[in-house]
Amino acid sequence: MSSEINKQELERLAKLARLSLTPHEEEKFVKDLGAILDHFKELQSLDTAKVEPMSGGTDLSNVFRDDAERENTNRGAGTEAFPKKENGYLKIPPVFEQ
Amino acid sequence: MMTKEPLHNLTLASFHEGLLAKRFSALEMTQAHFDRIEAHNPEINAYLSVARNEAERQAEAVDVAVARDEAVGPLAGAPLAIKDCILVKGLPATAASKILEEYVASYDAGVIGRLKDEQAVFLGKTNLDEFAMGGSTENSAFGPTKNPRDLTRVAGGSSGGSVAAVAAHLAVAALGTDTGGSIRLPSSFCGTVGMSPTYGAVSRSGVIAMASSLDQVGPITKTVEDAAVLFNAIRGHDPLDATSAATAYDERELLSPDFKKTKQLVIGLPKEYFTDGMEPEVRLEVAKSVERLKALGFSFKEISLPHTKYALSVYYIIVPAEVSSNLARFDGIRYAAPAKAVHADNLTDLYFKNRGAGFGAEAKRRIILGTFVLSSGYYDAYYEKAQRVRALIRREFEDAFKGVDVMLTPVAPMRAFKIGARADDPLSMYLADVLAIPAKLGGFPAISIPTKPAAELAPDELPVGFQLIGRKWREADILGIGRLYEK
Repeated sequence: MSSEINKQELERLAKLARLSLTPHEEEKFVKDLGAILDHFKELQSLDTAKVEPMSGGTDLSNVFRDDAERENTNRGAGTEAFPKKENGYLKIPPVFEQ
Repeated sequence: MMTKEPLHNLTLASFHEGLLAKRFSALEMTQAHFDRIEAHNPEINAYLSVARNEAERQAEAVDVAVARDEAVGPLAGAPLAIKDCILVKGLPATAASKILEEYVASYDAGVIGRLKDEQAVFLGKTNLDEFAMGGSTENSAFGPTKNPRDLTRVAGGSSGGSVAAVAAHLAVAALGTDTGGSIRLPSSFCGTVGMSPTYGAVSRSGVIAMASSLDQVGPITKTVEDAAVLFNAIRGHDPLDATSAATAYDERELLSPDFKKTKQLVIGLPKEYFTDGMEPEVRLEVAKSVERLKALGFSFKEISLPHTKYALSVYYIIVPAEVSSNLARFDGIRYAAPAKAVHADNLTDLYFKNRGAGFGAEAKRRIILGTFVLSSGYYDAYYEKAQRVRALIRREFEDAFKGVDVMLTPVAPMRAFKIGARADDPLSMYLADVLAIPAKLGGFPAISIPTKPAAELAPDELPVGFQLIGRKWREADILGIGRLYEK
């Protein structure tokens, strides 16, 4: 297993995460993440072939609500924080090049 | 009739008693705390925002009820501090991040709804490491919280603001969140009681998510007795949180345990938690606590949890993975524009710039690390491997709990460190939580209890907490032992 995050890999990850990084951050993160990934190597010595991965924090499964009509009591609460609005629509910069 | 005792020294229990006896009003209690906040918050930086008008109105409503001899609950009129990643409708909720600097909560978190039903008073919102990522509250975009016992030292984190508020008597109690140690570590550093409940016991609805499979809201208080009261008020199933469980707790056992039964509990000492790297003062103080509990009649048993040392790696794979997903929603649009507007040519560009300018270094580091461990080609080696080892750690705890009822360990290998001492080296910061993390990976409840009360600390002595870890849904065990200890 490669535990290398070089500058090129870091830029790929930052692009996937929609995150702009400064040159100083790039330099620091390559160093920090190298040390952190080195630490993770200790896990490879453990035999986990017969262990099921634990996902989530509970033993609950299939938590459903009733498929019934519900009254929305907090309507508009999610949109009131939008920076720019017009007629109930959210205004954002263009998605496609003009 | 006015009493001479300073109101800010009261606990939840003594405040409630005095309120019912009409020795003081809820409004006087709230005002006494705002006076303290005005005097001491500038140097401690526990609160990011206060809500004086709303708080006084809440307190006055309680005074009207008490004057009419209406029945009020144990939290009525109690002035509380709320960590700034928990939503209170109409108040800011910044998560100590620039990207949420202008955000005002549009609804109440599940725990806040319950506390409003109890007529609790909210003084304000407290500082934290950005999005609860950190062990010292130095990762806050709004400056570190200082340790009230020594202003050159960290309060611990990430719930450093809530804990410092309680330790400095700027709130009678507080809510924090604990993902890897964020309630217990600062509690140990500042000398408060802090509990991370069983995963699923308390609603996460309206809590800004860091790592959803680990985050829990919990009480931060001056006494274990108060922790039981606050936990009892916030626990319970919430249909708005699909991971909250409808587990039945025995309320009487939580609030007034049968101490004769408590004393029959067998306490395990996992040898892996008492390592050579520990500060000698921590080892000594925790050893004294063990002796004290022995003198109270408890029996101890040495146990072994050999996978303990892998918990830190597991945690720092799983948490960044969940962080990279949970923080994807912050784009600088949906939760108000950042205070500092950026110019962008198109939407993608806006995302890059808002997120680049809005997140601090630790948030960015975890987003990148999480993106990496989940990315194609690395998923099996890192993320899935960590999930498998997490299952091993949980099983190891479950096996150990067949032989003991409760475990006792230090909360952290060290006492509060100097501000700046670990800020530049993420791994050394992560190590502060090395003893707090394992219980969380299995979802077990754990509490930090000061080895001695603040009044018994020497002037230059730093607090130390010991940790009690219980079986799932058995908060009554760790709270019961804690109450016997503090008596």
